Amino acid sequence: MNQAVPAGALTAAGLGWQASGHATLAGPLYRLADACDQAFLALASLWAAEPEEHPAMIAAATLQRVGYLTSFPHQATFPVCLDADSGNLLAFTGSDPVNSDGVVRLARTAPARDLLTPAACYHIYPHHEGEQLGALRYITTRNTCFRRETYYEPLRRQWSFRMREIVCLGTRGEVQDFLAHAKSAVSLLLRELDLPVHWEVATDPFFEPASNPHYLAQVLQPVKHEARFGADLAIASLNLHEDHFGAAFGISRASQPATSGCVAFGIERWLYAIASRHGCDPAAWPDPVAAARRAAAALAAADARILTEVGQA
Amino acid sequence: MSSEPTQDRTTPQLAALRSWVAQKARDVPAGGLTDDLPLLAGRHLTSLHIPELLLLLERLRGRPIDADRLQPGDFRDIQTIAARFLAPDAAPAETAAR
Repeated sequence: MNQAVPAGALTAAGLGWQASGHATLAGPLYRLADACDQAFLALASLWAAEPEEHPAMIAAATLQRVGYLTSFPHQATFPVCLDADSGNLLAFTGSDPVNSDGVVRLARTAPARDLLTPAACYHIYPHHEGEQLGALRYITTRNTCFRRETYYEPLRRQWSFRMREIVCLGTRGEVQDFLAHAKSAVSLLLRELDLPVHWEVATDPFFEPASNPHYLAQVLQPVKHEARFGADLAIASLNLHEDHFGAAFGISRASQPATSGCVAFGIERWLYAIASRHGCDPAAWPDPVAAARRAAAALAAADARILTEVGQA
Repeated sequence: MSSEPTQDRTTPQLAALRSWVAQKARDVPAGGLTDDLPLLAGRHLTSLHIPELLLLLERLRGRPIDADRLQPGDFRDIQTIAARFLAPDAAPAETAAR
């Protein structure tokens, strides 16, 4: 049975928490997070996804090519630097730089040109800008992501959190096939971990959604499905981007703007789900890597069965 | 062979909707635009067309549409759009009582 996870038990398992929405993972929780990510990588290996590692920041001008700042301004986090002028820096250091409420007494700031990464896969499309894909591509990446929220809860809703993604770039049919396959793979992994979820249609959290055509399109033609643990905790999502990124970054497949899609895992939320389902004693936790191996084997057997059935038809 | 004349149920509103879609839709099949062509699922229309289509429908029906009450499939194809928003008794997505 799923149950609320006591904060004290999480602390004993290695959680450090900053009320501003940031989690430290140590000890058993660190090892569980690492094992979850290894499990996601085992799923990524089903498609031989190429790993990529991207920086913590991304240029605002790059993200705005897909309208990020107008669609999600409320979630954006900007790194701010002081203007390097020595007089400005002297003014900053001349008084206590941090007030008693923890607020930095900023002096003049330098122009902000970057964002802290809001989703791991945003780096992939500009990195592959202008490519003409002779075959579909699978890529996996992980990043610490930053989304400003109105409240924070340890492992459930954080300002900074770890995200693993598996991305497919191809024709629309190829990406739709990938997403269907990915849904099976994630469902099998969840079954092996004994984590009950329900899949639901969802929309991204747009600013002023009713006036945003991308939100209206998501309502009218759903492209996002979330695996929800308990009442409302989305621990994985499947997303069909259509040619939103392919067109913006000149990535083509079969002489058309490439379609993209991704499966995304919020790593801390998997920790919460496991602790809720199996308790906070690490000895009772399942082994995510072994679960992923069993899920992959079950998926391969199912695929072989389907291929056999197709061959006999 | 039946010689029953086909009733033409094309209203001016439906004709205007077909005309708008014909102007905007991309990659229309060789057989031409039909009322059951899947507009969004087939990517013949994209998200960027939706605000303009909403304005068109509001003008054709003479009543506002509450975007908060749109449902999956409401813009599936011309016949669905016409049934949902242009029929005299169309109920969904009316302005919600607030």
